[in-house]
Amino acid sequence: MNIGAFIPELLRHLFKTPSTIDYPFKKLEVPPDFRGSPYLRPELCIACRACERDCPAEAIEITLTNEAEKKFKMVIHNDRCIHCAQCVDSCPTEAMLMDNLFEISDYDRHHLKKHWDFVRAVVKPKAEPKS
Amino acid sequence: MSFEIPIGPQHPALKEPVGIRVTVDGEIIREADLRLGYNHRGVEKLAEQKTWTQNIYLMERICGICSHSHATCYVQGVEKLMEIEPPKRGLYIRILVSELERVHSHLLWLGVAGHEAGFDSFFMYVWRDREIVMDILETISGNRVHYGINAIGGVRRDLDEMQIKHILDSLEVLRQRSAYYEKLGTTEPSFVARLAGVGYLSKEEAISLCAVGPTLRASGVPMDVRKDDPYAVYGEVPFEVCTAETCDVLGRTVVRIKELMQSYNIIEFLLKNLPAGPIAVRAPRRAKPNEVVSRYEAPRGENIHYIKSNGSDKPERVKVRAPTLANYAATIKMLKNGFIADVPLIFAAIDPCICCAERSVAIVDARTEQEKIVTMSSLRELSLKMTKHQARKREAEWPL
Repeated sequence: MNIGAFIPELLRHLFKTPSTIDYPFKKLEVPPDFRGSPYLRPELCIACRACERDCPAEAIEITLTNEAEKKFKMVIHNDRCIHCAQCVDSCPTEAMLMDNLFEISDYDRHHLKKHWDFVRAVVKPKAEPKS
Repeated sequence: MSFEIPIGPQHPALKEPVGIRVTVDGEIIREADLRLGYNHRGVEKLAEQKTWTQNIYLMERICGICSHSHATCYVQGVEKLMEIEPPKRGLYIRILVSELERVHSHLLWLGVAGHEAGFDSFFMYVWRDREIVMDILETISGNRVHYGINAIGGVRRDLDEMQIKHILDSLEVLRQRSAYYEKLGTTEPSFVARLAGVGYLSKEEAISLCAVGPTLRASGVPMDVRKDDPYAVYGEVPFEVCTAETCDVLGRTVVRIKELMQSYNIIEFLLKNLPAGPIAVRAPRRAKPNEVVSRYEAPRGENIHYIKSNGSDKPERVKVRAPTLANYAATIKMLKNGFIADVPLIFAAIDPCICCAERSVAIVDARTEQEKIVTMSSLRELSLKMTKHQARKREAEWPL
């Protein structure tokens, strides 16, 4: 046992740069697979409701607004979303995607709601993923 | 003269709400009693209303630190129920994440131990290095805490060459730092003097009180689910079960640091022998009526999930036995005949996760203070009666 085994390490740290960053002024880059908030590409959605069924937080709602024109409305309650990206995995046409925003807080939970009105897309075997 | 001191449910020394009542004789604890149930969230009940896929994310949220262990334990059981075999690559990635989680949990504990022992610079350095493993987990899964990497029948995210290189590079840094902490934890005189001899739990007591995880291994019992009942691909991964003979908090620290080193070896082995192929198979939406028990070695000890299916797309029952619950009996034993100043340290040494362990409820009559034993069916009736008129979450008016 030696007295003060920690002192050399402490002294070394006097000359090191901080390991934290000035957050609001500098931001870390998020990894490419980061799970931000889900969003819909309405031109690809076939309204199969797979995302609505699998969402663990019941944050996705798809309602039929006009039966004749096959118009649908999708609401994503981002205040309930747990950012698990299960909807992205469940989607058969890759219409659901995650963005990479992480500063998504708001004073009012109603502002976090996102909705899309769209006409159901024609069923395609596999959609072309957009770059 | 004996005196009773309540510690908790809200106390600066405790991170989560749990009540400890200690009867002291001067400075020495003669009797200890744990009061649980302050953090009950009804997760098991909620699991009965969600589908197999939705439940992965619910199980993950039982605990923040060992989120992957609960999800994996559940998924393993469901895979057995659905009679599907996940592909090799999927299993490799799954246990890679579980080992990374073990590293992050043990580093977290090491920092907490330093903090409880009054060695705060140690705490800060360890937690700074823990960020490295958090970053690895973020690059693999996209999340820092709830990785959500499990799917029924495999995993959801694949690894590419860049990520493997990033993990191996970061691992070198972690290895160096952990070797330094090992040296420091066993030679720094003030730290050792604080930890040695505190919270003594002999080998026989550890076995008879059913302690699990590092608490048990620090008492010299080499018991590890990964070795005794290898799940996933642990059968083909070389590693040692780490033990210590000192039976005290110092031993628990040593065991955890040794396990860190073993985890680095396992991660390196997994990355170098990662087989090619698919990462997941398609899972059915329903499971045949059956029941299964799934075991998993979480960072804190053995985690058990009991899952029962009834042929529908929802489980009939999910029972979670978290490792902390198994260690409570041993904690009482460790607290007895110790000093009152050691309570936070001893309690922290089992790495308690209260929200993991709060799984059952006792019905106590508020007027007579008598505990009642209620059968499952009557409890169910009571809960149905209470929730009958409540709107479902989807139909509820927001904000509530």
